[in-house]
Amino acid sequence: MSFEEFQNCARLYVIGALEPEELQDFEAARKLYGSAAEDFINQCYGLHEAFALSLKPAKASNAIKDKLMSMVRERGQGQSGPRSA
Amino acid sequence: MTSAVDREPGAPSDVDLMLGIQSGDADALSQLYDRYSGIMKALILRIIHNETEADDLLQEVFMEIWNQAKNFSAEKGKALGWMVTLTRRRAIDALRKKQAYARAEERLQAEPERQPLAWVQNTTEKDIEAGDTRVLMAKVINSLPEAQQQVIELAFFQGMSQREIAFHTNIPLGTVKTRLELGLKKIYDGLKELRDEL
Repeated sequence: MSFEEFQNCARLYVIGALEPEELQDFEAARKLYGSAAEDFINQCYGLHEAFALSLKPAKASNAIKDKLMSMVRERGQGQSGPRSA
Repeated sequence: MTSAVDREPGAPSDVDLMLGIQSGDADALSQLYDRYSGIMKALILRIIHNETEADDLLQEVFMEIWNQAKNFSAEKGKALGWMVTLTRRRAIDALRKKQAYARAEERLQAEPERQPLAWVQNTTEKDIEAGDTRVLMAKVINSLPEAQQQVIELAFFQGMSQREIAFHTNIPLGTVKTRLELGLKKIYDGLKELRDEL
């Protein structure tokens, strides 16, 4: 797989649109191209950002925020930071 | 570009807020919510099309951001990209559960075929003139041929595989792949250009 073909696959990979049978070749090329491949994949994750930023922001509820912050502060009382996954 | 949206001078960057969250600062999460909840909710709504479910999911997503913040690394990418990836994954999971339920209820067949939505909704001339990041990205995406927008819409916002898109649209698999590759490349190049300008 040429690097250009790898780049095309990487853009599909980050949005989860690579088919299972394409994954094997993709992973082989990823290994072959090493850090250049990893850097490119990281850059491709910017596509997610692009899609989100193209949307008109929706009105988020204050009640949801209040509930969220209450849950976070409640949990925080028993520990010093976010819990481990 | 330390933040993908406009912020007050002197306001903490996205990375500062993520570091704050990593150290257990609830106020950092509060600020991150104020900055990005609108974008995250728009993304969720675009995928699951239900206001109440979107609110519930938004709360879950920010709770997950709080819990998973330790997994964020500024060296690997931007905070917004990380949050969007997480939000999209949760929303598509929710969509799939809904679809599975609908299939179980044998209602899917009765549903009218869903046509992909126009990519950017409610974009006005005023928005275009505003020239902010969102509008610039929307322009890049809107400049794609409709056929490319359609397959990208189905892949990104509906979480469909190439095969599922081919089945859903009656387009040959090879054509779906080509359209996806071309469309994503144009968006990627547009994003890169935008970043270079900022």
